[in-house]
Amino acid sequence: METIVNSRIKQVLKGDQNAYGEIVELYKDKIFQLCYRMLGNRHEAEDVAQEAFIRAYINIQSFKQGKKFSSWIYRIATNLCIDRIRKKKPDYFLDAEVPGTEGLTMYSQIASDSVMPEDKLVRLELQETVQKEISKLPEKYRAVIVLKYMEELSLNEISEILDIPLGTVKTRIHRGRETLRQQLRNL
Amino acid sequence: MSCPEKYTAYMHDYLDEDISEQRALELSEHIQSCGTCEEHFKELKRTIALVQGTAHIKAPEGFTEDIMAKLPKEKRKVELNR
Repeated sequence: METIVNSRIKQVLKGDQNAYGEIVELYKDKIFQLCYRMLGNRHEAEDVAQEAFIRAYINIQSFKQGKKFSSWIYRIATNLCIDRIRKKKPDYFLDAEVPGTEGLTMYSQIASDSVMPEDKLVRLELQETVQKEISKLPEKYRAVIVLKYMEELSLNEISEILDIPLGTVKTRIHRGRETLRQQLRNL
Repeated sequence: MSCPEKYTAYMHDYLDEDISEQRALELSEHIQSCGTCEEHFKELKRTIALVQGTAHIKAPEGFTEDIMAKLPKEKRKVELNR
């Protein structure tokens, strides 16, 4: 994948904007997921994920060929998410009532299958609880947990993305796991 | 009575696949004899399973098109002039 990406980047550098579309296609789900898990809100996630890709495009000259593009874009997106979290007032969650509706939550805004068997509903509720607890983690723990367990990245890649030593990545993952364990143990 | 802190550290090292055989053995022996640590370790593994169990989500429809429309225009001119 990195080979394709590198050749697309060369095209982008030559001024071929369409080649950038292919890069976005390759990474959009990963970056959107990262933003969603960090922010806990689809609308904000979309906003920040788009900004990440636009920034990457604008700064493409500063991307060092031979490095992993995925780490670079992950880094831009993670930093934007952290900035957003810091600026944000207390989190609001997907299960918060949508203004002007009666009992409608953001979950009902998410497209779902028309049939909702009970086990599926239970699973969705469980995922909702997990996401809520992740959203409560301090952002430095949240970032490592999301990168490790949702984006399935190695500790070395996480260290590169966040530009922190491997030892710090481990400490944060340990703390993040302990905090989540305490929150989720009674489920 | 609480156990030495090192066992919790070993659990995390184990979960990161970053533990020596010697320590892994030590941890496993301790867990067999200590219900508290056994429970702790189980909870950690379950936490990971729960986090990993959250479904993967996809970018919304039209995501790429929206970005392409928002990119600065200058580069497009270059493309046209090729």
